[in-house]
Amino acid sequence: MSSWLDYTINGLIVGNVYALVAVGLALIFGVSRLINFAQGSIYLVGAYIGWVAVVQLHTPLPLTIIVVAVAAAIVGLIIERFGLRPLQNSVRIAPLLATIGISFVLDQLVMLTFSPNPRALPSQLPDVRFQVGGGTIGPLDLLIAGVGLTSALLLFVFLRYTKLGWAVRATAQDRDAAMQMGVDVNRVNQAVFGIAAALGGVSGLLVGMYYNQIDTAMSLQATLKGVVAEVVGGAGNVPGAVIGSLLLGLVESYGVAVFGTSYRNLFAFLLLVVVLVLRPNGLFASARQAPPEPLTGTFIAPSRPVRIPRWALLVAAGIFAILPFFPVSFYVLQTLINAWLLGMLALSLTLVAGTVGQVSLGHAALLAIGAYTSALLSLTLNVPVGLAIIGGGLMSAALGTLLISPSFRLRGHYVSIATLAIGEIVSLVILNWESVTRGPIGISGIPPLSLFGYDLISPNSIYWFSFAVMVVLALLQGRLLTSHLGRSFRAIRDDDIAARAYGVSLNRYKSLAFIFGGFAAGVSGGIAAHLYSYINHETFNTQQSILALTVVILGGLGNVVGAIVGAVALVGLPEVFRIAAEYRILIYGIVLLLLVRFRPQGLLGTM
Amino acid sequence: MSNIDRRSLVKGSLAAMMAGAAISRAAFAQSSEPILLGVSGPLTGPNAQYGTQWKQGFDLALDEIQAAGGINGRKLAYQFEDSQSDPRQSVAIAQKFVSDPRIVMELGDFSSPASMAASPIYQRGGLVQFGFTNSHPDFTKGGDFMWSTSVSQADEQPLLASYAVRRLGLKKLAVLHLNTDWGRTSRDYFVNAAKEYGAEIAITEGYIAEERDFRSTLVRVRDANPDGLILISYYSDGALIARQARQVGLKQVICAASSVYSPKFLELGGDAVEDVHVGTRYFPEDPRPEVQKFIAGFKKKYNGLEPDAFNAYAYDAMNMAAAVVRIGGADRKAIRDAFTKVKDVPSVIFGAATFDVATRRVKGAMNAELVVRKGQFALWDGKPT
Repeated sequence: MSSWLDYTINGLIVGNVYALVAVGLALIFGVSRLINFAQGSIYLVGAYIGWVAVVQLHTPLPLTIIVVAVAAAIVGLIIERFGLRPLQNSVRIAPLLATIGISFVLDQLVMLTFSPNPRALPSQLPDVRFQVGGGTIGPLDLLIAGVGLTSALLLFVFLRYTKLGWAVRATAQDRDAAMQMGVDVNRVNQAVFGIAAALGGVSGLLVGMYYNQIDTAMSLQATLKGVVAEVVGGAGNVPGAVIGSLLLGLVESYGVAVFGTSYRNLFAFLLLVVVLVLRPNGLFASARQAPPEPLTGTFIAPSRPVRIPRWALLVAAGIFAILPFFPVSFYVLQTLINAWLLGMLALSLTLVAGTVGQVSLGHAALLAIGAYTSALLSLTLNVPVGLAIIGGGLMSAALGTLLISPSFRLRGHYVSIATLAIGEIVSLVILNWESVTRGPIGISGIPPLSLFGYDLISPNSIYWFSFAVMVVLALLQGRLLTSHLGRSFRAIRDDDIAARAYGVSLNRYKSLAFIFGGFAAGVSGGIAAHLYSYINHETFNTQQSILALTVVILGGLGNVVGAIVGAVALVGLPEVFRIAAEYRILIYGIVLLLLVRFRPQGLLGTM
Repeated sequence: MSNIDRRSLVKGSLAAMMAGAAISRAAFAQSSEPILLGVSGPLTGPNAQYGTQWKQGFDLALDEIQAAGGINGRKLAYQFEDSQSDPRQSVAIAQKFVSDPRIVMELGDFSSPASMAASPIYQRGGLVQFGFTNSHPDFTKGGDFMWSTSVSQADEQPLLASYAVRRLGLKKLAVLHLNTDWGRTSRDYFVNAAKEYGAEIAITEGYIAEERDFRSTLVRVRDANPDGLILISYYSDGALIARQARQVGLKQVICAASSVYSPKFLELGGDAVEDVHVGTRYFPEDPRPEVQKFIAGFKKKYNGLEPDAFNAYAYDAMNMAAAVVRIGGADRKAIRDAFTKVKDVPSVIFGAATFDVATRRVKGAMNAELVVRKGQFALWDGKPT
């Protein structure tokens, strides 16, 4: 029984670690309504600055903390001034995407400067430990808890009792009204970014000392856990973020206690989904916060889509169709095959995110469901590959829609967070459901693509097959969008309350969109499974979901041709930059930032 | 004779000139253009550190190969393409390599999904895919162009089990393993062997690669009351587990798989990894000349940096590739066949390495029983800790 005390203490300790990240995220969300995906990268920068201070300059701990806080704050101010402020009057999605681009750039800069090898970041506190329960607690544990709680408390006081704090809160409630009342909104944003970045940097330092190691891959995990903790607590609520973090730590710890280590993150993300379904604004959302307007079209840029004449599309399709007759290398064809597969995923996402306004960050789960279904059907039941892929599409449509349906009642950012969680849950179920999915060993020996008994193994035939499937799906989707159904979808996106008032059943139409989109994504996953011949739980990961979202936004939300153009561009760009080796992701991040800056509505505009 | 008109004379001499040019170009290629290997591996993304370590090992091996006169007078070189260990990118790289006639064989990729997704392309393209970190049991089943010097876990884990159970006398074990294809396969081989040697497995816990917090896992371990902890981990997570095990008050003997063998394990683990036992495939004090040459060369080239296991795999892989190319020349199929012919290639990991033609893997990893003493890996002297 005494072990429960230990599990509780451990949960609270790791919860404190999460809190350090979550508080910064909450502060930024509170003011800018922005999930700052670069927060994890600032945390990374803080950890490495701390390493330089401790290991190279031998600064004492208080000075280390000050150095890190100031340096990270400067990074935050630079991000705010040059990365985000120019996007102030553009669509909501633009700053979100910009933070993703910034995180690529920061992570790569740190990696290029310090090499990707992990480093030891020694704790500067004495190594004494106090016996608590069956375990022990050290001074660093207490310092982390102290920093987490103190910063939350200080922020609370700052927001409630200082003039700048009032300005922050006023801006958070209604940006335009605050501006009219004479609040310097830019200064508020700067202050918030500086504070959040300082907190993020210090958290990287402390967490690095806590584990005695830092590495350049730590930023994405930090962001993920921080976002979960923040949303559980109520996005934008600083004390809520602390409580959400502690709760997350406890749930993980108890999850490990009862079910074992491999289920750990499963419970973290289940907690998130449950909280979102029961209390869509988090546990401690402040009731007085005005909801953002418009409610679901948050991400949509008002723009005139670029109309591409039908003949031009036909010519382009014709050129791509006869491409293998020209002397192009198989490498180019394989790259285009990847583009067509990503194009199918992007069609799926552009429908649900662009046309219906349900931004999904867990779309790779649909790929995984389709891939596993198709692989298992053809391997264990000897279903012909062509039919198995269709089976994969149908399973993705059915199961995917069923899994995502709890998020139908959510709005704005919460939809994307819920789908992010569902994506992680699917991946963790695949890892743990060994009797069906073979767990971490994965599925190998998946039969190659074939159609009516003919194996499609030459790059040419795979190219034609995947291109044809994508074109058919795109034509169907184009037809769908011009129909009555398409208009209902856009009505939900533009104003769900008005749509409901006109008798549009939100859940039913959202389901229809996810069914259609799930099918396209599932087919893409199915083809990939037979193309690769081996898949495991890591084949379709979060990065794939983020890539798909980037494609869709790049092409123009809801834009069918845009999704395909975006897929070709984003599969092609890293390949073009291949000669740049270690620098290519850095270049890719910068290109992404420039695109967001100068063309936030996407290359072809929103439909 | 007079029938020979000027035109045909011109034609003939032109043809002769072109043939001459072709021959001289071929001769030129023979003499100075390097024999090129393709490498598909991570230089960016979450596994970037391993790609960096590969390069260090490759470059050292190439320096030595070039100094010894290269491959029959030609230089050996590699072209490293960054796959991020992502299957989508590794298949594109595979097509690139297969259709590039300069590439004579391929090394990599790092992870199983990335490597095995590319296997069908290499197999159909008739280009050897030489995976040297690919311990997935199905990797070499991809076809007769898939070869591997990755140590089979079927070989290695019984050696670790023997170290823990027979030599250290541990009877009740807790196994913590990375929940990947490698960790899972290793765990199964370890558990079977340990049971065979008479030990009881009290608990096994799989964790994901991104995991940083193991305190609650270790409470579970404590409650299972084992007398030894077995870590099937990489060096960074292995060091984390050891630290946190000591922090939550576990004092049991820790015994770790060779994959933690790295100076980084000592740096990241600090005092907590003192007395940790490691069954390893090589260690610096091994008097074998190939090991000493490798370590001395590595330290010289990289300013005193200590090499680790991944550096050694890459170094061995490049030397193996050189040995194979020496027999097979620049012909892809001949290179495939050469894998069946190479014998006793000097290597850090295997000693004299020879492929088992049936499994297309190398058998007989060396095993040394190490223990961390005073912050250094040392040969275990047989005394209990």
